[in-house]
Amino acid sequence: MKSTIFKDTINSFVSIAKGLWVTLVNWSWRRPCVTELYPEQKPVLPVGYRGMPTLPVNPATGRSGCIGCGACARMCPEEIIHVVVDKTDPKDRKPAEFTVDISRCMFCGLCMEVCPTHALKPARTFELACRTREGMVYNLQDLMRLGGELPVEPEEETVS
Amino acid sequence: MELDLLIKLGLELGKIVVIAIVVLIFMMVAVLYMVLKLRWVIARIQSRLGPNRTGPWGVLQTAADALKLFQKEDIIPCGADKWLFTIAPAIVFIPAYLVYVVVPFGSGLTAQSLNVGIIYLSAISSISVIGIIVAGWASNNKWSLLGAFRGASQLIAYEVPTILAMIIPVLITGSLDLNEIVSSQGGGIWHWNLFHLSGWPMLPLAFLMLIIAGLAEINVAPFDIMEAESELVAGFNTEYSGMKFALFFLAEFAESFTLSAIVVTLFLGGYQPPLHILGGQLTGLAFSAVSLFWFMFKCWLMVLFIMWVRSTLPRVRVDQLMNLSWKALIPAGLVNLLLTGAYVVFWMPK
Repeated sequence: MKSTIFKDTINSFVSIAKGLWVTLVNWSWRRPCVTELYPEQKPVLPVGYRGMPTLPVNPATGRSGCIGCGACARMCPEEIIHVVVDKTDPKDRKPAEFTVDISRCMFCGLCMEVCPTHALKPARTFELACRTREGMVYNLQDLMRLGGELPVEPEEETVS
Repeated sequence: MELDLLIKLGLELGKIVVIAIVVLIFMMVAVLYMVLKLRWVIARIQSRLGPNRTGPWGVLQTAADALKLFQKEDIIPCGADKWLFTIAPAIVFIPAYLVYVVVPFGSGLTAQSLNVGIIYLSAISSISVIGIIVAGWASNNKWSLLGAFRGASQLIAYEVPTILAMIIPVLITGSLDLNEIVSSQGGGIWHWNLFHLSGWPMLPLAFLMLIIAGLAEINVAPFDIMEAESELVAGFNTEYSGMKFALFFLAEFAESFTLSAIVVTLFLGGYQPPLHILGGQLTGLAFSAVSLFWFMFKCWLMVLFIMWVRSTLPRVRVDQLMNLSWKALIPAGLVNLLLTGAYVVFWMPK
C-alpha cells in the first residue's frame, strides 16, 4: 500500500510532464493545422466524391447523353427530378426539360446508378447555398453547365 | 491653513483616482489581450487556426466580443433575488481589482506599499468566494447553486495550501512587505527565491505548491470543476448575461494575472532583472522602467505557463480535487512550514 502511494505520486508527475511535453511540441513546432481557412482555402475533394447529379456535356455533340427515359425521375426517392422528353425526332430522343430540386436532394446517387446511358454524373462541388428556394431548382442548362465537359475519349485506332 | 489642508487632501484624492484609473485600464487591456492569447495558444496546441477573422490576424476578436457583451440584454431570471443577483458580479470583481493595490509592478511602482502586503493579498482575494456563492444562490438555478457550492468548497480548501506556500518565502525573507521581498532577491537569477541556496528543498516545494493551489484558486483547467461545462452548464454564472457576465469574465482573467504576479514576486525575483548587467546598474526612473519591463516579461511567461497547463491537463473529479488539497498539499505544506521555521530559527546564516 505504502509503495503504491509513492509510485502513484511519482507516476502522476511523470505523466503530467509527458503530457506537457506533447503539447509543447505541438505548440512550438508549427504542426500543420487540421482545420482549413475555408473560403480562401478550398478542401481537396476525395476521388469518387459524390455531389449533386449533373449532366456532363459531350464536347463532340454539344449535348449530354440523356435520352429522356425518365428512369431517374421514377427512381428518385424524393421525387425531385422532372423529365419531359422531346419527341420531335423518335430516332433522337433528348430531354426537353430536366429539373432537379437540390433543396430536397439527399445525394443518394440512385439516379446516377439507374441511368441507362450513364449520362448523370456526380458533380465535384458542394457550394450549393443560395438565397431563394427557386434558386435551388436546377434546369437542363444549369445541370449541363455544372457537369462540365466529358473527357474526350481517344478515338479507336483503325488497324490498317 | 485650512485651505492648505484642503488642497493637500484634494491632491491626494486626485492621485488615488488617477492610480485607480490607470490600474483599471491596465487590467482591462491585459485581460483583453490574455483572452485573445489564450485562444491562440489553445488553437495552436490543438492544431487549429484560432481567431483570425476580426482585424489583422484576429487581434480585434476580444474587443469585438466585449462590444457584443455591452450590447446584450441584461436578463434577470424570474425567481432570482434581484438585488443579490445584481451585486454578485461586483463582489467578485472588486477584490480581483483591489489586489492590484499592493502588487509591485516595478521599483517604486506600487500603488500602495503595505507592510502586511501578503496578508492583504490573501485576505482580499478570498472575498470573491462570497460573490460566487451569492451569484449561485441568487440565480435560482440548480446548476448555478451546485457550481457555487463546489466553488466554495474548492476555494476554501485551496486557500490553506496557498497561504502555507506563500509563508515560506516570507519566513526566509523575514518580511510581509512585497517590495521588501522583491528587493531581497536582487542581484541576479541565483538570488531569486526559487533558485536561492538558503532553504533549498523548501522553497522549490513551496513554489510547486503555490502553482498547484493557485491554479485551483483561480479555477483554471485541471481544477475548473466549479464551471465544469459537461456537468454544470457553466457553473455559478450560468444565468448571467451581458455586462454582468463580462465582469465575471474580467475577474477570472484578472485573477490569473494576479496569480502570475504573486508567483513572480515571491519566487522569481519580482521586478529584478535576471542578471545585474541587464538593468541592475541603473537607478531612479530608468530602473523603474526597466524593472517594469522585467516584471511584465516574467508575468507574461507565467501567464503563458498557466495557459499551457490549462490546455493540456484534463479536469479532475471533485473528490480527487478535495483529496489533493486535504490529503497531499496541506500536510506537505505544514511539514514544509515546520522545516522552514526550524531552519530559520536554528541554521539560517544571519
